[in-house]
Amino acid sequence: MTLPEPTPEEMEERAAIDRSTRYPVMFFFTSAAAWLLVATLLGLVSSVKLRLPGLWDDCAFMAYGRLFPAHLNSLVYGWAMQAGVGVMLWLMARLTRNQLRNQAGILVAGHLWNAGVTFAVFTSWFGFGNSLPLLDFPKWVWPFLGISYLLIVAGIIPMFRNRRESLVYVSEMYIVGAALWFPWIFFTANILIGKGSAPVMASGLDAWYITNLIYFWMAPVALAVAYYIVPKIAGRPIYSYPLAHASFWLLAFLAGWTGFSRFMGGPFPAWMPAVSGAATIFILLAIAATVFNLMATLKGCSKIWEFSPSLRFTVFGMLMLATYAVLAAFSSTFSFGQDLQFSHFLVGLDTLAIYGFFSMTIFGAIYFIVPRITGAEWPSGKRIRTHFWFSTYGIITLIVTMLIGGIAQGGNLANWDQAFSTSFVNSSAYVVGRALAWAMIFFSNFSFLYQLALMFAGKGRKSDGPTLIHAKPGEAESARAAAGL
Amino acid sequence: MASEEQKNIDYEKGTVSTVDLHDSVRRENPLMPGGEGSVGVVLLVIASLILILGGGQLFSTANGFSDSIYVNDNYQPAPRPSLGGGEEEGEQVAWIEDWMSDGKKVYNNCIACHQASGLGIPGQFPPLVGSEWVDGGTSRLGAIMLHGINGPFNVAGQTYNQLMPAWNNLSDEKIAQVVTYVRREFGSLPEGDDGVVTTEMIKAAREQFSDQTGPYTEAQLLAIPEGDKLPGSPVDLQTGGPLGAGGGDAPAEEGAEA
Repeated sequence: MTLPEPTPEEMEERAAIDRSTRYPVMFFFTSAAAWLLVATLLGLVSSVKLRLPGLWDDCAFMAYGRLFPAHLNSLVYGWAMQAGVGVMLWLMARLTRNQLRNQAGILVAGHLWNAGVTFAVFTSWFGFGNSLPLLDFPKWVWPFLGISYLLIVAGIIPMFRNRRESLVYVSEMYIVGAALWFPWIFFTANILIGKGSAPVMASGLDAWYITNLIYFWMAPVALAVAYYIVPKIAGRPIYSYPLAHASFWLLAFLAGWTGFSRFMGGPFPAWMPAVSGAATIFILLAIAATVFNLMATLKGCSKIWEFSPSLRFTVFGMLMLATYAVLAAFSSTFSFGQDLQFSHFLVGLDTLAIYGFFSMTIFGAIYFIVPRITGAEWPSGKRIRTHFWFSTYGIITLIVTMLIGGIAQGGNLANWDQAFSTSFVNSSAYVVGRALAWAMIFFSNFSFLYQLALMFAGKGRKSDGPTLIHAKPGEAESARAAAGL
Repeated sequence: MASEEQKNIDYEKGTVSTVDLHDSVRRENPLMPGGEGSVGVVLLVIASLILILGGGQLFSTANGFSDSIYVNDNYQPAPRPSLGGGEEEGEQVAWIEDWMSDGKKVYNNCIACHQASGLGIPGQFPPLVGSEWVDGGTSRLGAIMLHGINGPFNVAGQTYNQLMPAWNNLSDEKIAQVVTYVRREFGSLPEGDDGVVTTEMIKAAREQFSDQTGPYTEAQLLAIPEGDKLPGSPVDLQTGGPLGAGGGDAPAEEGAEA
C-alpha cells in the first residue's frame, strides 16, 4: 500500500508546530524523567525496607511509612502526570494543527507543578503526611498542583476551540476529557477531605480518587496516544471508528463510578461497593473494545512493532491496560475481592496501571515525539531495546509476585483467628519480587534517561532515518523497507 | 554545509527551513479518518458475558440499594457465630466451644490466685486441679462462687486460711460459663458428667442459697450433700439447646431430684 506523499506545505506546517511545542514539552519530559529516577529509586529502597524491616531501624526517614508515599507521589505526580501533560500538549497541537501560542504560561505552569510535586514528595517523606495514598500531603500543597493544571488546561482548550480540521479525531476527545476530568476529581477529593469529612468517607474518597485517576486521566491520555500512534505508524485507518467513539463514551460514563469496591464489606452502605464493583466490570466493555480495535488495526503488520520503538511500547502498554482492567474487575467482585483487598495485590495492581500500562504507553509517545521536537534521532536502538525489555521483565515480575503474595496475605487477613502480623510474615518473601522488579525498572530507565539527556543536550543522531530497535544506523533504510514504514 | 552550531542558531531564528532539520516530518504518515470494520461475533459474545457478570454482581450484592444495609449477605469475612457471621455447614463451631472460650475470658478474674494453670500457689492459694470441691457436685461449687468461702478449709489434703470473695456481681451467664470452664478444664469429672453448668442452673442457685449472708465456712458447705447438683436440664453440646426426650449420649445428670 502506498500512502500519499506529504506536500511541502504540510511538512512545513508540521515542523512549525513541532518547533512551537519544543520548550514546554521538553521541559515536561525532562523534569518527568528526573522524577522517574527518584521514584524508581524510592520504590527500590522502600521494597528493600519492607522485606528487611530491621534495616536502618533508628532513621525515621528510612521508614517504609514515609518512603512509600514519597515513592508513590513522585511516581504519579512527578513522572506520570508531567510526562502525560507533555504528550497532551504536543498531541493537541498536532491534531488541531495549531501552534502552541501560550508557551510562557505553560512554562510557568510547569514550574508551579514541579514546586507542587517537590512539596508533596518531601512533606510525606518528612512525616507531615496522612494516611490517604496520593492525597497524603498537607492541605496547602494541593492548590499548587490544582492551579498549575488549570493553567495547562487553559493552554489546551483554546487549541481545541480553534481546531483547523472539521473532524474531531477520537484522540482529541480523549485529551479534552483528560483535561477536564482531572480537575474535577482532584478538586472534589481534596476539597471534601479538606473540609473534614468523616475519616471513613475520606478513605472511600481516596479510593475513588485513585481509580478515577487511572480510568479518568491515565486511560484517556494513553488511549489518545494509542489512537494516534497505532494508525499513524501502521499507515492505516483505525479498524472501526464508530467503535472507538462508542468506547470513549462508555469510559466517560463509567469511570466515575469506580473506587468504592476497594472497601467491600467496609462501613459503607452495601450498594456503594456493589455499584463500584459493577462499574469496574462494565468498564471491561470499553477496554476490550479499544484493545480489540487497536489490535485489529495492526493485524498483519507485526513486523512493524518489532522495529518501531514507539509502536512496541504503545502496544505493550495497551496489553497491560487489558490485563489491568481484567484484574481490577476480578478483584472488585466479592468472591475474589474478599481475599485480595488490603493486600500486596492492590499495590501490584496500582503499579501495573501506573507503570505497566500508562508509563509504557507514554514511553512510546516520547520515543515518537522527542525526535520531532528536537530535530534529531535517538542515539541508539540497542538502548531502547534494553529499556523495553528490562521494563517488561520488571513489571511482569512485580505483578506476578504481588498477585500471588496478595492471595497469600489476603487469605491470612481474612482469617479471624490469626494474628495480623502472621499475614505479613507469611507473605514477606514475595516482597523480594517487588524489590527485584524495581531494581530492573531502575536499570531500564537509566538507559532511557541517558538517551533523553543526550537528546535534550542536542547530541542526538543527525543522520536521516529513524532509530529502529533491531537495526544498526546504517541498516535503517533496509529495516524501514522490511517493516513497510 | 553549515556547522552544527550554526544550524541550531538558524533553527532558533527560524531562518533555516524547518523541514531540513525535522527529517522526521518527511517520513510521517498522514492520519486517516477511521475505518468501518465490523465488530466480530466473538467480541459481541464477550460483551454480553461482561454485561451478565456485571449485572449479576450488581444486583446480587447491592441489597436493594438500601441506605441502611451495610453488610452484604454474600460477604462473610469472619466465619464466627458469636460475631454474627454466618458459617458453612461443615465448619460449624460447636456451642460448647464458644461457651468454653467465653468461660476462659471470665476466668481472667481468677488467675491472680488460682493461676492460669489452675494449680494455685502451694501454701497460699488452693488449686482447682484435683480439688474435691471442683470434682464433686455443682451445688457446693455454685455456693462458693455466689458467696465466697472463708478459711480455714481443706483442699486436696492441705489446709488454707484464706478468704475467697463472692462473685455474685457477675451475671448468671458469666458465672455459668466460668464454672463450666473450671470443671471441664481443671476437674476430673465423674463418668457421665459433661461438666456443663447452664445459666438456668446458676439462676436456681441464686434462689437456693439466697439465705446466706457473708462467705461460707467449711462446715456450712459440708452440710450440702456431696454430689448434690444444681437443678436444670442438660443441654446439647452442639447447639446449646435442651436435649431431646430420652437424650442419647450425653447422660441426664441434673435430674428432678432438686
